[in-house]
Amino acid sequence: MRIGEIIGSSSTQFVSESLELRSPPALGSLVKVRVGDDRELFGVVCYGETVSLDPGRRAVRRSTEEVYDEGVYRENPQLEHVLRTEFTSLSVGVMEGRTVQQGLPAQPPPLHFAVNSCGPEETARFTEGLFYFRVLLAASSPVPPEQVLASHARQVYRARGDDELWLRRAATEVARLLREDYERLITALYAMEQAR
Amino acid sequence: MTIRGDVGAAGRQRLGVVVDGAFNTGLTVRLDGRCSTEELRIGELVVVEGASKRYFGMISDMRLRVTDARLQASPPDDAPDLVRQALAGTITYATVEVTPMLMLDLSAELEEQRGPQRVRSMPMHFAALYRASEMDFDTVFGKEGGTNFAIGSPVPMEIPLCLRLDRFVERSNGIFGQSGTGKSFLARILLSGIIKTRAAANLIFDMHSEYAFDKQTEDGHWVRGLREIFGPQILVYSLDAEAAARRNVDITLTIGLNQIEADDVMLLADELDLAPTTAATAGLLGDRYGKDWLRGLLSMSAEDVAEFCQTSGAHPEATRALQRKLREVQRRGYLKEEAPLSLIDEMVTALGKGRSIILEFGRYDSPLDYILVANIVTRRVRRLYQQKVERFEETKAEADRPLQLVITLEEAHKFLNPTVARQTIFGTIAREMRKYNVTLMVIDQRPSSIDAEVMSQLGTRITGLLTEERDIDAVFTGMSGRAFLRSALASLDTRQQVLLLGHAVPMSVVVQTRRYDEQFYRAMKTRGSESGTPGWTTSDIWNR
Repeated sequence: MRIGEIIGSSSTQFVSESLELRSPPALGSLVKVRVGDDRELFGVVCYGETVSLDPGRRAVRRSTEEVYDEGVYRENPQLEHVLRTEFTSLSVGVMEGRTVQQGLPAQPPPLHFAVNSCGPEETARFTEGLFYFRVLLAASSPVPPEQVLASHARQVYRARGDDELWLRRAATEVARLLREDYERLITALYAMEQAR
Repeated sequence: MTIRGDVGAAGRQRLGVVVDGAFNTGLTVRLDGRCSTEELRIGELVVVEGASKRYFGMISDMRLRVTDARLQASPPDDAPDLVRQALAGTITYATVEVTPMLMLDLSAELEEQRGPQRVRSMPMHFAALYRASEMDFDTVFGKEGGTNFAIGSPVPMEIPLCLRLDRFVERSNGIFGQSGTGKSFLARILLSGIIKTRAAANLIFDMHSEYAFDKQTEDGHWVRGLREIFGPQILVYSLDAEAAARRNVDITLTIGLNQIEADDVMLLADELDLAPTTAATAGLLGDRYGKDWLRGLLSMSAEDVAEFCQTSGAHPEATRALQRKLREVQRRGYLKEEAPLSLIDEMVTALGKGRSIILEFGRYDSPLDYILVANIVTRRVRRLYQQKVERFEETKAEADRPLQLVITLEEAHKFLNPTVARQTIFGTIAREMRKYNVTLMVIDQRPSSIDAEVMSQLGTRITGLLTEERDIDAVFTGMSGRAFLRSALASLDTRQQVLLLGHAVPMSVVVQTRRYDEQFYRAMKTRGSESGTPGWTTSDIWNR
């Protein structure tokens, strides 16, 4: 399902504007960009924000005693036109046909291409190997990478139908990758544990 | 070249991979995440598969490690299962130290047939470590058969582990261990093996009369005597005429005063509390009476003593004291004025025919009797064996080759302690009698009280648990690689587990000894497996 359009692209990550205001894809969820006939680039959502279209203009309070939360948007339909929701995805691999190649893609995804959410089957296929965890952990993002990874693991666990075995495998892989940094490791593992 | 590929098929359990090491200190192996240190044992035989060589070694140490020291400060003891399971084998892991001892070259068919050799190289990184399989034990220790005798099973496996008895008997040996570790059962098992495989004839000085006939053990059940198992192949001698009449003893041994030499008396210095001047006095008596010195001394009246001292220059008080003390010895029932040497000579003839002899002491089981008689008998036996070997060297006829003789000696420190080891015939045998085909099997609970030079001559050492530092040091006298063997020795069970090291085994190994029970008796009685070749091909390790 189409959920956004690429408005910034680099070798390691791409920024997209969400088609729907205020509902970016979940942190850590797997997204894909169709870049050729049989070629899809995969990313993991690592950041999302809703900002003003005009960078210089800050949002102001609009709620009253009676009108708040969703009511604010009902009362101020113009907000849909001055705000936008963006999300950033880390590139983690490419799937060509049924072949999965984890790691950074050779080229960044083209601007203005559509970003799609992934179904359970694609998610299962792409996440079978866990090499892309290294890419995730090495990335720079406003959210600490281990938090992104833990959220991602939770998403995949659900998408794979509460795949206990996969979660254990993922936890072991995370432990292997973060073996030199106990604090970050424990943070990630406890966050992954929340999935169950 | 065929073996390399089907290593996994050999049914071995993989334990980990080599990650570090040095030839001198051994290999460090990181255990696989699934493998727990609880399933391994210090001293266990393991196999490292190198690219072209297979290494056999022993686990000498284990260590728990973490990749991040912060874990040690705040261990996740209440962590959920997922967290614990992820940490195990990744951030926490274990390594074992492996000391390679033998290697098998897999690159050449010919080499392969030569069997394992002493280790001269080491494997590279990531060589896999496996628990040894039955096949590996066969490769190293050989199959049962011929003089290859199953002494027990390698801990923790249930397969026979063999000792080369032909090599065992060709050098003096030691069996050590605290009391209660099963030394005398082990001795019975080894003696049975030697008798059954005809590796050697045995002369057993049985101080406590426990080897020949059925005997009740400390825990109340009865165990068979060697005579009961092997029948007429065993001759039983006794010093005690009364016991001999009661028990099914073949011959009652008597010793003549004329057979006691001055050196024999010197051995009794502790037991009789003899003065240091005794040697000189005995020497002077020898000058006067020759071989009959003891009878001469004992028959002297007070005037005779005075006269003897006057003419010979002996000290009168010392002479009288010696006479008084030796009269005590004279009262022993087995001592006669004069006894022919023929009784002992017949013993040697029987030994020469491959029969084994147990000499029981009956009620004469004090250290004094034991030392005196064992020394006299062994001196004569040694003399006769020396003659036999000299005759064989003259004729070079195979028929004249004397059969190997093993003398079993309990409480060995009484003969082999540093003060007397140079005087007793046993010290001589331990040091040099290998060339006369006579060797010792010494049994003792305090190896530290045995002369270091004698200890260093012991070819094979079989030791049960020892706790005294000095004893442990003594067992390893003249052996290399002590440090890790020590940890293997210290980890033995208190009963029925021994560490085998030395000449008769290609590498040191911890063994659960065989049970001395009905099944064993039956195995010893069956014939047919006495001949035949050991289950391996000629191996370089035996020619080192």
